[in-house]
Amino acid sequence: MTQSGQMETTTIGGGEGATGMAAQMEVEAFRRLFPLPFYDRHLSKSVRPDARTLDSARETTISLGPVASADGSALVKIGETTMLAAIKLEVMTPSTESPDEGSIAVEFYMPPICSPMVRPGRPAEVAPVISQQLSDVIMSSRMVNLKELCLISGKASWIAYLDVYCLNADGSLFDAALLSAVAAFTHLQIPLVSVNEEGRVFTVSGEQQEKTKLELVNKEKRKLSIGNTPFPVTCVIHKEHILVDPTAEEEAVMETSITIVLDTLGNLVSIYKPGGVGLASTATIKECISRTKRRMQDLKIILEEAVSVMEVD
Amino acid sequence: MAASTYSPSQGTERRQRQQQMRRLSIQSDWDRSDGRSFIQCRPAFLRTGAANAASGSAYAEFGTTKVIVSVFGPRESKKAMMYSDNGRLNCNVTFTTFATSLRGQGSDNKEYSAMLHKALEGAVILETFPKTTVDVFALVLESGGSDLPVIISCASLALADAGIMMYDLVSSVSVSCIGKNILIDPTNEEEVCQDGSLVLACMPARNEVTQLTLTGEWSLPKINEQAMELCMDACLKLAGIMRSCLKESANLSN
Repeated sequence: MTQSGQMETTTIGGGEGATGMAAQMEVEAFRRLFPLPFYDRHLSKSVRPDARTLDSARETTISLGPVASADGSALVKIGETTMLAAIKLEVMTPSTESPDEGSIAVEFYMPPICSPMVRPGRPAEVAPVISQQLSDVIMSSRMVNLKELCLISGKASWIAYLDVYCLNADGSLFDAALLSAVAAFTHLQIPLVSVNEEGRVFTVSGEQQEKTKLELVNKEKRKLSIGNTPFPVTCVIHKEHILVDPTAEEEAVMETSITIVLDTLGNLVSIYKPGGVGLASTATIKECISRTKRRMQDLKIILEEAVSVMEVD
Repeated sequence: MAASTYSPSQGTERRQRQQQMRRLSIQSDWDRSDGRSFIQCRPAFLRTGAANAASGSAYAEFGTTKVIVSVFGPRESKKAMMYSDNGRLNCNVTFTTFATSLRGQGSDNKEYSAMLHKALEGAVILETFPKTTVDVFALVLESGGSDLPVIISCASLALADAGIMMYDLVSSVSVSCIGKNILIDPTNEEEVCQDGSLVLACMPARNEVTQLTLTGEWSLPKINEQAMELCMDACLKLAGIMRSCLKESANLSN
């Protein structure tokens, strides 16, 4: 049995599930031609091809404020999966049913650079699904209080356009997308604005404020207060094994995935299991939830570190 | 959202821009906003291997202009059904919605895609990959001026990273004409009040120009000597930086 994670050209003896043809073959060829037996052999020894254990996630990094032209932005990397989220604030007239609330418009894009499967005329099937998922989770977790986005009750309020771009797709897309959305909201800085006679809102820079003594509408409210932050973890289920944080290859080979979102208080925000070959019993789901709880602690620390680094700057 | 929304910084920006244009058209000498001289380019940050899903990729940052380019291929394409001795090059440029200061549509920029294709087509040796297609996808993360030259330089770096055979690296710079002055590598504010612009893409080692685009009003009598020579010289230096970036990443992988 070859060492996991190393690309050696060693021959593999034919095992159960592989035909006689696989008796003498290179590792990479075996991986392409018989992906399921390849993974079965690894899983029987409780290890994955990139040398991770079944319940360890890849290295996660968060950096805040990479895009200077946006009001809030964040770049998140989970392993090789890279997501860039940016928030731009615009002014809108609030609806009559909720005159003192703003709104959030979420959009998830998978440009052709992120994966060989996406072409300019053929958008990825999974993009609108993740877009809707993000929107649902952000609204239902009540992470952002929409009343804080109000400027003048009934006349003007903020609409936050949150755009998440996938720069590299290597599995766990929803995890990275939600994490980058949360980080972007944490980084968001609402600009100083004032209102002119026609009721139109315009930005005011620091020096202008002293010179003309314009009446500032939102002097105190520059940052959003983030409520319970939701943290996601995606797992794939294969026979009796649960793999946390799958790569794109693992997601494609083992088609059953389940995504759990918990918030900082331990409440369950969302469970998402889109069909798939494997069936998840309640015991499996409970197992996934406990994995999510553990991973959430790590993610909280990573997010807090990123915020403290930004505040030092 | 059915109702239209507007950005609060629209009015202030327009006023600032008008003030600046009035000021610059009168003056004959001024300091650029980032302290550069007229013939100084912005410092370039180049990195290859940004996206591992692609055959080759590159990330370029020139001041506030940030571009990421991925190259896929040579791979089969549904469009190339007939056999042809030459490969095909397919280019696509997209801007993110937050690239410009006012939120954009996030759709493909067809004009830049066509210009990128023309700039690279002369440098790529298409005979080395018959019947297949090489896809070059560019995503502009932040647009801070002089976007097309940065996209072209970053794309040729990504092609080199992917191992596509080329005659030479293509580097590109642009020059703005404001009044009687020429500014190299303009930022957004400078591009807005320019009278004319020249975008040049060339292969410095072969001293050949792959693309030259001249627009607007030029009040200089001899464009060739001043503007073009300046561009070719800057392209040569930029190609040197691109080469050292490729060497560095080759050393790292060894």
